[in-house]
Amino acid sequence: MNEKELAPHIEDINRALKGKASTDEIEKEIQNFQNYGISLDNAKRAIVKKFNGDPSLLSVSSEKKINDIRGDEKGIDLKARIVSIQDKTIEVDGNEKTIFYGILGDDTGTISFTLWEALEVPLEKGDTIHLKNAYANTWNDQAQVNIGSRSNIKLLEDDEVPPFESEPQVCDLTDIREGMRNLVITARVLSVEKKVVQTDNGEKDLYTGILADETGKVQFSAWHDFGLEEDHVLRISGGYVRSWRGVPQLNFDDKAEVEFLDHDELPSQEDLRENTVLTISQLARMGGAVDAIIDAVMIDIKTGSGLIFRCSECNRVIQKGACRIHGKVDGEADLRVKGIIDDGTGALTAIITKELTEDILGYDVEQAKSIARDKMDQDAVKDELEERLIAQPLRVRGNVTSDEYGLMLVASDVKFKTVDVEAEARKLLDEVCV
Amino acid sequence: MSMMKREVAWRIFADEFNNSTLEAGGESERSPSYVVTPLGAMVNRIYVVGVLTEVENRGTPEEPMWLARVSDPTGTFFISAGQFQPEVATVLSNLEPPIFVAVVGKTNIYRPDEETVLTSIRAETVKEVDEDQRNYWILEASKGMKNRLEASAEASKMEEVSTQELIDLGYDTKIAEGIKKASEHYDNINFERYYSILNDSLRYVLPEYERRAELNRSEKKGTDSSLLETITETMKSMESETDNEDGVEYEEVRDTVIESEGITMSEFDEAVTELMRQGKMREPALGYLKLTL
Repeated sequence: MNEKELAPHIEDINRALKGKASTDEIEKEIQNFQNYGISLDNAKRAIVKKFNGDPSLLSVSSEKKINDIRGDEKGIDLKARIVSIQDKTIEVDGNEKTIFYGILGDDTGTISFTLWEALEVPLEKGDTIHLKNAYANTWNDQAQVNIGSRSNIKLLEDDEVPPFESEPQVCDLTDIREGMRNLVITARVLSVEKKVVQTDNGEKDLYTGILADETGKVQFSAWHDFGLEEDHVLRISGGYVRSWRGVPQLNFDDKAEVEFLDHDELPSQEDLRENTVLTISQLARMGGAVDAIIDAVMIDIKTGSGLIFRCSECNRVIQKGACRIHGKVDGEADLRVKGIIDDGTGALTAIITKELTEDILGYDVEQAKSIARDKMDQDAVKDELEERLIAQPLRVRGNVTSDEYGLMLVASDVKFKTVDVEAEARKLLDEVCV
Repeated sequence: MSMMKREVAWRIFADEFNNSTLEAGGESERSPSYVVTPLGAMVNRIYVVGVLTEVENRGTPEEPMWLARVSDPTGTFFISAGQFQPEVATVLSNLEPPIFVAVVGKTNIYRPDEETVLTSIRAETVKEVDEDQRNYWILEASKGMKNRLEASAEASKMEEVSTQELIDLGYDTKIAEGIKKASEHYDNINFERYYSILNDSLRYVLPEYERRAELNRSEKKGTDSSLLETITETMKSMESETDNEDGVEYEEVRDTVIESEGITMSEFDEAVTELMRQGKMREPALGYLKLTL
């Protein structure tokens, strides 16, 4: 680092030390620390401490590269390109607020970011920016960049950040994560359908469906007609990952290469559909999954379960015959379960809709209504669901998404699980034998 | 932006849970607090299935404070539910022990004085269950304990316990962090003892073991006092053969009595607790029992 580049940092230390050390002294100290391979940021903190100053007064940090970010840094200075950006409305203390999230990239890698404040200048995909005073944290074991009210964003010329060229990366489907690119995936097509979508460049054909390998399943979007059909076994080179509600999805377009492999390269469709039971901790790391199978116990059933009534206008759940939006309405009866399932590695909210809830109860909405009427208690049905479901080992199946409240599963199937406890205990005993 | 993620409900045996003396987290109102067990489980929420043996309201009808005991093959959990858990209080007030129950709750460590550390569970949900559900819980708790034991054994081989190294070995981040914390707090964890607890617990769900236990239970009905007597007699003869002023080794007495009476470990522990409660026995040093004169 030359003198000119170092100058603002020396000045920064000077400010934090309020003149407790001379510029020469500081320069010598920096050199000394750097000779030991200490990063400039760490060196600055150490020097300020050494002269009994307060390191939190330091405000100029050295420029970072994305793959250096570990997830606990403050005052990050970063030049990057916006790979993707989306907005989202969240609720803060009862008020709605728009935040932005997406992916930043530089020549060393990509990273997720969240922008917590409104933008003066709208940012778009492809913009190159200079970020100052951002901070990092980790979410699902991955570092991410946060841009808050004290951060600063400046637009740069396009060529100030070199493009990111990653090596092709062979990857199992359970290991794909938001922001990955140039992936090589081997998988079987479980389903595929053609859709026409509106894009900035007009109408486009999109082929979407589910791919599976021996580790899991993933939703895919192919932006080019590769002639995909159900049951094809493919090797896709050049895929990239986008998330939808926390769930990573595989995308590939005409720049990708699709190779059709022998039918026997992977297990059959039936096996791939059934064989992957995921733990909730795995799902939390992935951010969600399509058609996940989970073995867990239901440990809580939330209010709003059992017999509920929905507004005939907007389908919202109503309380005491009144809808939040439409006032007094004739409610339409419905059955559902909003419960917490937990497998000892994590917990998620499971939504079980009408038909499955009827199966669990052994009766339909009409009977539920008459039971509630007879007992003069709308919660009678919820009580019965608790009786049947709580502490019961279940095999639950469905799509899992995630947001700031955690994971949520909408069940496509719920089964009471029968376990041969004796056989499993003997197996474990064999493994632990002292 | 802090994520209010729901805490997982750990399946932990009473022995491991009750031997916990370390707390973590809870620095602010928003950060959850954890009981860190000797094998590195960081438990904020716990899920227990066992036998409800006692339940009583220590509060008033207006401000109830329900206390209950739930036994698993390794020991006893202490459960509480106050006026802020009205649904749990209602369930508890209608249950008559002995009965199988499932309990979900938040963990708590309490230090009445400098030497004593008590763990308990503030119940969120209590439900009557059946033996199959209890046996399934034992299986799950055993799997979890085996995993933590193996991870702890790996950690004990490291010069300095490293979370990252444990993660690289395939252990969950939460387990790795917990084991690091446990390794900095607990001295000389007796792995052999935990392995034998794991073995006993797994045998508990096997029919050959169960039949024996049931047989003993039916024979033993109303003979509790004779078991107390047997233990006292056994202790007397053992004490006469030792010079150790701390008394006799707990395990030695236990094994002898279990062998001669055909009772389970938890039944033995309950009898010993009862003797201590009656003031007839003390524990002068960890792992030693002595009759009071």
